[in-house]
Amino acid sequence: MKMSGSEILIKSLLKERVEVIFGYPGGANMPIYDALYDYGKQIRHILVRHEQGAAHAAEGYARITGKPGVCLVTSGPGATNLVTGVADAMMDSVPMVAITGQVAAEYLGSDAFQETDVMGITTPITKWNCQVTHADEIVETVAKAFYIASHGRPGPVVIDITKNAQFEEADFFYKKVVVKKLAFTNHFDDDEVRKAADLINRSKRPILLVGHGVLISGAEKEIDELTRKGEIPAAATLHGLSVMSWSNPWFVGLTGMHGKYAPNVLTNEADLVISAGMRFDDRVVGKMSEYAPLAKVIHVDVDASEHNKNIKADLPIVGDIKTFLKDLLPHINTGHRRSWREQFRILDKKEQTAEKKRLKKHRDDITMDEAIKTLSEKTNGQSIIVADVGQNQMFSARYYDFKKPNSFITSGGLGTMGFALPAAIGTAVGNPKRQTYVVVGDGGIQMTIQELGTIMQENLPIKILLLNNEFLGMVRQWQELFFDKRYSFTNMTGPNYVDLAKAYGIKAKKISKKINLRTAISEFVESKESYLLEIKVAKEGNIFPMVPTGVAVDKVRLE
Amino acid sequence: MLYTVDIVTENRPGVLYRIAGLLTKRKINIERINAYAVKGKGISKIFFTADVEKKVMETLAKQIYKVIEVADIKYHEVSH
Ligand SMILES: Cc1ncc(C[n+]2csc(CCOP(=O)(O)OP(=O)(O)O)c2C)c(N)n1
Repeated sequence: MKMSGSEILIKSLLKERVEVIFGYPGGANMPIYDALYDYGKQIRHILVRHEQGAAHAAEGYARITGKPGVCLVTSGPGATNLVTGVADAMMDSVPMVAITGQVAAEYLGSDAFQETDVMGITTPITKWNCQVTHADEIVETVAKAFYIASHGRPGPVVIDITKNAQFEEADFFYKKVVVKKLAFTNHFDDDEVRKAADLINRSKRPILLVGHGVLISGAEKEIDELTRKGEIPAAATLHGLSVMSWSNPWFVGLTGMHGKYAPNVLTNEADLVISAGMRFDDRVVGKMSEYAPLAKVIHVDVDASEHNKNIKADLPIVGDIKTFLKDLLPHINTGHRRSWREQFRILDKKEQTAEKKRLKKHRDDITMDEAIKTLSEKTNGQSIIVADVGQNQMFSARYYDFKKPNSFITSGGLGTMGFALPAAIGTAVGNPKRQTYVVVGDGGIQMTIQELGTIMQENLPIKILLLNNEFLGMVRQWQELFFDKRYSFTNMTGPNYVDLAKAYGIKAKKISKKINLRTAISEFVESKESYLLEIKVAKEGNIFPMVPTGVAVDKVRLE
Repeated sequence: MLYTVDIVTENRPGVLYRIAGLLTKRKINIERINAYAVKGKGISKIFFTADVEKKVMETLAKQIYKVIEVADIKYHEVSH
């Protein structure tokens, strides 16, 4: 039976089990919207307030469900507004299928109204992209797009559909596509598994680095077993957080720029670094030439191009981390590495002393650490934390006591301010059983604040913890430390956030005194509906430890 | 180091652009380039010569190989 390209698109999405679309209509995708009108029962459409929000919401959805997030926008400004979110998904390996409307094929290249070169703009920030100019190309393109987005190392794809293809009629037969290149992820053999086991068994001071890949592959149990059986201290990258909890005695916390003191210092004393689904980002390794100088490196990654890119690997393993660990575990000897673990504890004490000293400076003001710690306690570490970018993000990473996997969603690679509020829409929609909390600064919330409207319209019970220091805090901290306290354009006057939230029908409260913190957070946590809690925090609080850019990780600063 | 890179790829719009982007990103200048479609096979061959740091070449080749349409890539140093 013949049907329009638009209907073919919707039917194809249904075949890919799409349940939610985050989108925004316009001239060049109106036929698709018209087709969507008849499928309201099968596909939930969430109307965002800005296309960037659609992309971040799709990211949040993808990260919490493991399925590709789908967004649908119009040509020109719709597509360019989407770009930040697509780039963000690329950097953080998030599966996403973004559909952009495009001017009719006959106008391509003529600078038609709302024409932009979407293929040109999105090529460097997508895993794959494709322009469709005929209805009969839609099925194969959609099938391929979903396959590519979700196989191998996940990432975003863009499908640009010209308006004529949306109107045109064609037959609908859905056929799944397999992209051979991505069908096989494991390219390691028994010999390499044994070599890895041998390196691990012989190591006296190994450190395991747990990254996003572990969550993507669902290898939390295997990581737990490896660390306990082998007695191997394990640190997490920003996206590897929540894989392990502190109930595992071998967990040593976050590593990298604002990671804990011990894993940073001791990486440079380790004789073996085992990297599990992480890519040695510069925010993790600091000065590359002085990273882990004593260590052999085992690097497990599905993406072969990550091997030897930043850090030379003695044993690169191309494959899925879960499969690899399952093969590896039987070869791992029971470890005896308590004294090595003890060295982390000794350095933790040093960090705690510095932390106490830092907190003393803020006797009256609430600090971000206290706010996050209280939230962590009151939620028993069970919630989904969607953190924005800046100090609020790093304090969330450091002080929320994650007890469940896949609980920390943030923009790592791109560091996109404004990520949290829309991404939380995606996590709340993707997993309504778990409570989503947004942690955000006064700078970041204002970048995508219009999404309060989406939260209102969809009646999403998202809790928003606004940590207001009246500064672009992280930049101010750098100005304090590296630019002689010259606070160049980082103080920010904000609106009345409580009134603003209320204008969107969202409950809100503001506190500034330490004595009110616990009750305010209790009330915030207990609320059944969306709630914005603004906490006036110390204006010049700093996050430490810190590895300044381009400095070796063992030169991590405590103050 | 001057390298010659030979690529076999599915013949589709945008592939050359995607590969060129991987070079542009690292500010690598192409010295010579040649590309043609193999008749009737739906594939293209791309050859280029560029000055690439030795330690970057391995990663660059793997990144080019990640382009979905690319079926094969080989590279070798050009002797002067
Ligand atoms: C879109 C974007 N613009 C600029 C930056 C640079 N930047 C990083 S952190 C930061 C300050 C964030 O301030 P705020 O949102 O108030 O959070 P805080 O650090 O105070 O917690 C800025 C401006 C960024 N990461 N993203």
